[in-house]
Amino acid sequence: MTMATRSWLVLAAIAFVIFAAAAPAVAQQANSVDPNAAAVKEQQLLQQFHRIQGLGSIPDTKSYVIEQPMGRVWRLLHEVYLHWFGTILILGLIALLLAFYFIRGVIRIEGGRSGRTILRFTSVERFTHWMCAVSFVILGLTGLNITFGKDLLLPLIGPDAFSRWSIMAKYAHDYSSFPFLIGVLVLFLLWVRGNFFTAVDIEWFKEGGGMIGHKHPPAGKFNGGQKALFWLIVLGTVGVTSSGLFLLFPFYFTNILGMQIAQVIHALIAICFIALIIAHIYIGTLGMEGGFDAMSDGEVDLNWAKQHHPLWVEQELGQARTTAPAAGAKATTPA
Amino acid sequence: MRPFLAACVATVVVGAVGYFILNSIQEPAGLAFATDGARTNPSWSWRTAGTRPGAPQCEPRRVWQWFFVDLRRPNAEPRICSDSQ
Repeated sequence: MTMATRSWLVLAAIAFVIFAAAAPAVAQQANSVDPNAAAVKEQQLLQQFHRIQGLGSIPDTKSYVIEQPMGRVWRLLHEVYLHWFGTILILGLIALLLAFYFIRGVIRIEGGRSGRTILRFTSVERFTHWMCAVSFVILGLTGLNITFGKDLLLPLIGPDAFSRWSIMAKYAHDYSSFPFLIGVLVLFLLWVRGNFFTAVDIEWFKEGGGMIGHKHPPAGKFNGGQKALFWLIVLGTVGVTSSGLFLLFPFYFTNILGMQIAQVIHALIAICFIALIIAHIYIGTLGMEGGFDAMSDGEVDLNWAKQHHPLWVEQELGQARTTAPAAGAKATTPA
Repeated sequence: MRPFLAACVATVVVGAVGYFILNSIQEPAGLAFATDGARTNPSWSWRTAGTRPGAPQCEPRRVWQWFFVDLRRPNAEPRICSDSQ
């Protein structure tokens, strides 16, 4: 064997060793397409980056987000926790009101109706109140449909009718937000002056608003409870309106995560709002004799007014005496 | 009860104004999220899907139909047209 031949043999041996070492790695790469392993990698990616996002060529930049795992958290909140929260709050409140109704009963006008009435709310105030009320009922029912409709209504009316109703409800929800917001704004301007808390209201709260027992704490045109309701409605409206804007204009102000957060905030505030208004409706109708007159006719019985808003009656009658004697309260046929 | 009835009418009127305001601000999804090169065909998005080729196209609902929730089927179009709109 010549020197040259020996050299070729050594080179060939080295080459064989190199290829032999490299071959298993290549073979391993070719066999590494394992769907399960790929899923693990994707999960790791999601954990690390919170979303999988690529590049696109259409203006719809939101479509570049391929996966957003926070959506699952949002779905859990929307489909599970929100249901529990809403059910417990709304049904719990209704149960409390029923218990209160059966234990305390209707809050009667002590001494009965006097037959004399006093103007409590003007036509403008009642119009604005009812505009808020009508639109709120639409908003509330259609909003509850979004959260609970799939569980409560769909099994009853079937998918076709539920789809149709839900489309209508969605549009009604969007458009009735306008009269509601305008109504609350006008009511705010009309009533804000009379709704600042004073020392009289502290006394009113200390007495429990006269709900328990038959003692009636002093109150002006609006008592402590009504003032609390007023400010809660104002705050609630700011909350649902600002969060609702993110939903009414999807992707205008924020991305999908922002909209998910806005939806949860919107729903939470709205459910609290609905519970608050249920209590308001109860006390304004079933719970108190003569209370509804304030919003139906605008005039309330003088005895009712003296019982629940004595400081306001004194003020009104005092003003009436100074401007026009014998005015202020007018006689009507007792109901 | 006149303020109540007036409030009901006002709610509808203000809601209608809201409809037009929203429509003037927002673009239809078919235009907003596409380009000339990759345009979503609005007539398709109004759900011709489900109808056989050659079947009459669904007629998109008018503004007033949406507002008054009038989802009847004009021109005897197939039921899928109402269901999908």
